[in-house]
Amino acid sequence: MSWFVNTLGSSIGKKLMMAISGLSFCGFLVAHLAGNLFIYGGRDAFNSYATHLHSLGPLVTIAELGLLTLALIHVLTGATLFYENLQSRPQRYAVNKSAGGRTIGSATMPYTGAFLLLFVIFHLLNFHFVDKTHITIFDIVSKSFSHPAYVVFYVLAMIIAGLHVSHGLWSAFQTLGANHPKYMPIIMMLSLVFSLIVGIGFGFLPIYISLIA
Amino acid sequence: MTKTINLTLKVWRQPSTESKGGFETYHASDISTDMSFLEMLDVVNEKLTMDGKEPIAFDHDCREGICGQCGSVVNGRAHGPEKGTTLCQLHMRHFSDGDTIAIEPFRARAFKVLKDLMVDRSALDKVIQAGGYVSVNTGGTPDANAIPISKEIADKAMDAAACIGCGACVAACPNASAMLFVSAKVSQLALLPQGRPEAARRVTAMVRTMDRMGFGNCSNERECEAECPKEISITNIARMNREFFKAGFFSAVK
Amino acid sequence: MHLDAKIPGGPLAEKWDRHKFELKLINPANKRKFEIIVVGTGLAGGSAAASLAELGYNVKSYCIQDTPRRAHSIAAQGGINASKNYQNDADSDRRLFYDTIKGGDFRAREANVYRLAQVSGNIIDQCVAQGVPFAREYGGLLANRSFGGAQVSRTFYARGQTGQQLLLGAYSALSRQIAAGKVQMFTRREMVDLVLVNGQARGIVVRNLITGDIETHTGDAVVLCTGGYANVFFLSTNAMACNVTASYRAYMKGAMFANPCFTQIHPTCIPVHGTYQSKLTLMSESLRNDGRVWVPKNAGDKRSPDQIPETERDYFLERKYPSFGNLVPRDVASRNAKEQCDQGKGVGETGLAVYLDFRDAINRDGKDVIAQKYGNLFQMYEKITADNPYEKPMMIYPAVHYTMGGLWVDYNLMSTIPGLFVLGEANFSDHGANRLGASALMQGLADGYFVIPYTIGGYFAGAKLPKVSADQTEFTIAAKEADIRTKRLLSINGKRTVDDIHRELGNILWNYCGMARNDAGLTKARTLIQSLRSEFWENVRVPGSDKDINQSLERAGRVADFLEFSELMVVDALTRRESCGGHFNEAFQTEENEARRDDENFCHVAAWEYAGEGKDPVFHKEPLVFENVKLTQRSYK
Repeated sequence: MSWFVNTLGSSIGKKLMMAISGLSFCGFLVAHLAGNLFIYGGRDAFNSYATHLHSLGPLVTIAELGLLTLALIHVLTGATLFYENLQSRPQRYAVNKSAGGRTIGSATMPYTGAFLLLFVIFHLLNFHFVDKTHITIFDIVSKSFSHPAYVVFYVLAMIIAGLHVSHGLWSAFQTLGANHPKYMPIIMMLSLVFSLIVGIGFGFLPIYISLIA
Repeated sequence: MTKTINLTLKVWRQPSTESKGGFETYHASDISTDMSFLEMLDVVNEKLTMDGKEPIAFDHDCREGICGQCGSVVNGRAHGPEKGTTLCQLHMRHFSDGDTIAIEPFRARAFKVLKDLMVDRSALDKVIQAGGYVSVNTGGTPDANAIPISKEIADKAMDAAACIGCGACVAACPNASAMLFVSAKVSQLALLPQGRPEAARRVTAMVRTMDRMGFGNCSNERECEAECPKEISITNIARMNREFFKAGFFSAVK
Repeated sequence: MHLDAKIPGGPLAEKWDRHKFELKLINPANKRKFEIIVVGTGLAGGSAAASLAELGYNVKSYCIQDTPRRAHSIAAQGGINASKNYQNDADSDRRLFYDTIKGGDFRAREANVYRLAQVSGNIIDQCVAQGVPFAREYGGLLANRSFGGAQVSRTFYARGQTGQQLLLGAYSALSRQIAAGKVQMFTRREMVDLVLVNGQARGIVVRNLITGDIETHTGDAVVLCTGGYANVFFLSTNAMACNVTASYRAYMKGAMFANPCFTQIHPTCIPVHGTYQSKLTLMSESLRNDGRVWVPKNAGDKRSPDQIPETERDYFLERKYPSFGNLVPRDVASRNAKEQCDQGKGVGETGLAVYLDFRDAINRDGKDVIAQKYGNLFQMYEKITADNPYEKPMMIYPAVHYTMGGLWVDYNLMSTIPGLFVLGEANFSDHGANRLGASALMQGLADGYFVIPYTIGGYFAGAKLPKVSADQTEFTIAAKEADIRTKRLLSINGKRTVDDIHRELGNILWNYCGMARNDAGLTKARTLIQSLRSEFWENVRVPGSDKDINQSLERAGRVADFLEFSELMVVDALTRRESCGGHFNEAFQTEENEARRDDENFCHVAAWEYAGEGKDPVFHKEPLVFENVKLTQRSYK
C-alpha cells in the first residue's frame, strides 16, 4: 500500500483529495439545494420532504458519515496545504502584484474555506443537532430567520460559499487533469454559473423565509 | 521615439545568503527608453562603481530572452510588467519619467538568495536530474524519420519545451510552487513517443523530487501561466496530473 | 615544431571509418579508471560530458552559469544541417562537405569537414531519440528549410529555438549522467588556468564564482568546450559571459591558436542604437528565406520605406547574386550591407542599417504562414525596437557573431598539448574562414557525441598517465598565480570601469579588425591595443573583494585576457596577406569587390605559439591539402 500513500501523500495527491472531496461537496450542494426548494412549496411540503428523507434511516447515517469523512479530508488536507504553502516562501515580497491569473475566489480559498467550516458547524448546531420532538423543521427554520441578524449572516455565508465554489469547481477539473483547450472555457463558465446558483439559490432562501415569516 | 527618463530604484541588497538584506534607494537618471532593464542596471552599476560603492549583483547572460539566467521581481511582478517577456527583454519604454521601481530577488524557500538579486535555482536542476530525460545513450538510435509524429503533437511538445528554466513560475506563484516548470518537461516527454516508455517512472520521480526540494503546492491560481516569459500553459500541469495519477494508481511504479 | 594533423590515409569517404578502426580501444572495465575534465556545457561540452560518462569514464563538468542548461548554444535560432536528403533534392554527405568547404572559402581541412558531414545524420537521429521536438510536416515526418550558402533544404529546426532544444537535449543527457553519479557537476566555476604535468594536460584551476575560492581539479585529460571569443568586440551577439580566458590560458601554456583573425560578422542583427548598449541581438538567418534585403537606390533617401516605390529600391543581393540571391553566405551578405551603408544608402536614424522586407512574402503566403515560421523572431524584434515587422520592414545590420578561429587541433581534436582536447567553437577545425548557417550546432554536437568519445580513448590507450594530486607543485603554483592576479586586479583602484575599457577595445577592433581590414588600420589597432592594455593595468577600477560574488572582478579577468588576445588577432590579420571568408583585407579584392584569395601562398592554417610576455607570437603553418575539391573563386552569382 506504500504506492497508495506515496501517491496521495505527494503535493499532487493532496490536491487530488481536495478535488475529489470538493467535487463531492458540489454534488451534495445540488442535492441540498434541491431539497431546500421544497420550502417554496410551503410548510407541509418542506416538512414532508424532511420526513421522507429521515425515513431512509441507515442510508442517511451512511450519507452523514460519508460527508463527515469527506469534510475531514477536505479540511485537514486544506489546512496542511495552507500551512505548507505558507512555509514555501518564508520571506514575502515587499511589493506583490498579480499578473492576472488570480481571482478573488482563488486568492481567498483558505480563508473562505475556514469561514465555511465555522459556518457549517454553526449551521448544523442550528438546524441539525436540535431537539425536533416538539417542533417541525420548517418552524425551526422560519423561527431562526425571523432574526434579521441570522438572515444577514446566512446570506453573507452563501456569497462566500459561492466565491469558494467559483474557484473550487473548475480547479478540481484542472487538478484531475481535465483541462482541454476546447472544453476548459466551458468548464470555467459552468463553474461560474454554478457558483451563482449556489450563492443565489441558497442565499435567497433566508430572505424569502424572513419575508413570509 | 527615443527619450530619456529619470527613475527612483528601490533595490534589494543582501551581501550573502546568511546576512540580512534590505532595500536601498538609488536614482537612475537620463535613462534612454530604448535601453533594456538590465542595461539600465548596468548604468546604475557603472555609477556605483565610480562612486566607490559595490555594484548590484544580478544574474544575466544571453540578454536575448532565451538562457533563463536573468530574472527579478520588478514592482511585484516576476520579470516585470510586460507579458511574455524576460527581464533582459523588458525595455525602459514601458516605464515613465519619475517612476519608482522596486526590484527584489525571486523569493521561495527552494531559491536561496546568494547576493542582492541573485538566487540559487539548482533545485530545478535536481528535478530534471530525477527524470527529465529520455534514457538513451549516444549512438544506436533509429532513423529520425522512423517514427512519424503528428504535427499537432510535435507542436504541443514544442510549446512545453520552450521553457527556459528561469524560475519565474515559482517566483510568481503565491505558493512558490514549481508545477509549471516540472509539468513543462513532463508534458514534452510524455507527448512524444520517444518519452513514453518511461513516462510513469519519470513523472513519479520528478514530482517526488519537486516536493522534496521545498516548493509549495499548486492551487491553480494561474499566476505562473500569466507570468511565464515563454507563455507556457497550465494545460501542461493538467497533463502532468493525469500522468501522475496514471503512474501512481495504474502502473508498476511504487 | 611540426604540426601533425594526423589525418588518416585512404579515400576521403573512408578516412573516419578507417581511423575509428585503427584507434586503440579502452576496455569497458578500465574506462572507469580515467577521469576527464570537461569545461563548458554548451552543445559540445554537454554532449561530450554525457557521452563520455555513458561510456563509463568519470567526468567532471564545469560551467560558468548557474546551471549547465544556459550555455550560449541555447541562443542559436535557425537550425542544424544534416545531409539526410529527406527532401529528395540531391543532398549527400559529399554535397554538405563541399558546401561547407566552399562556404569556408577553402580554409578548412577536408578530412575534418567530411567527417562532420558523415556524422551529421546521426546527430538528428540522436536528438529525435532524446525528445527534441523538431518541426514536422502534417504527415508526421521532419520538416526542413534552406539556409545561406546552400541550394538544398537540409536544415532541421525547432521553431526559432533550435539551439535551445538541442542544448536541452544534451543537458538532459548530462542530467541523467549526473543522477547516475558518472558526472560530477561544478556550476558557477570559471576556468582561469590549465595545469600541465610532464607536458600533459592534467588539470585546471577554476574560480568558484560564489565563494571566490581558487580551486584546483585534477584529471587524466582536459576537454575544452568553452566557445568562441566574439566578445572581444564588446558588442556581439554572444552572451555576456562568453570569453576567451580558458582558450587563452591554454594558449599561454603551449596550445597553439589557429586563425584568430577569422571572425564571423552575421548580416542579420538588430542595429546598434546607443552607447549604453550591452549586446547585439541576432535575427536568425532563416529570415533571409523569405525576407528581401534592400536599400533605397539613391544615397540619402530618408523617406519612410512604404513611401519608396519599387523602382527606387535596390535589392542588392538579388541583383548581384542572382542564383543565391538573399541566401548568399554570411560574409558576403555582411560585406555587401556595409558597402551599401558606406555609399550613404543606409537606412534608419544612424544610417547603419538595411531593410529586410517581408512584404512580398506576406502577400504571397499570407501573414499566418509567415507568423508560423518566424512568429517568435518577429515578436523579439518588436520587443527590442518597438517596430512591427509585419507592417514595416525590419532594419538589420551586421554584428560579430561567431569565431571560426580557435585552438589548433588535430584530426582527433587534440591540441598541441597532449591530453588537451578542444571541441566546438573553441577549436578552429571545420569552418575555415567563414561558417555557414546551421553548421555550428552540427559541429558542436558532432564533436561531442560522435568524435571525442572515440578519439579520447585512442589517447588514453597510448599515453602514460602517472597519478597526479592537487597538492603537487604544478597545481599549487598555478593556484597561487591565479590568486595573485585576482588580488592585483582588485588593488589597482583606478578611474575607469572594466566595461568602459572593454567598450573601447571593442571599438578599436570593430573599426580596424572588423568587416574590412587594411594594413594601416591593423597596425594602428595593434598600438592602440597595447596602450589600452597598459592603461587597463594602471587605471581600471574593480570594486569589491575576492572572497564572495564579484561580477566586476569576473569581467575584469576576462577583459584582461581579451586585451592580450586581441593583439594576436591583429597580428594574424596582418600576416594573412589575402582576403578569404570573414577576413577581408581591402588590398586583396577582385574588381567586383569580392574577397581575393591567394591559394599559392596562404592555403594554410596559421597557428600561433605563445612566446612569453611581451614577445611576438611564433608563427607555424599547417598547409591545407585539397585532394577532393578544386579551389575556385567562390561564386554565388
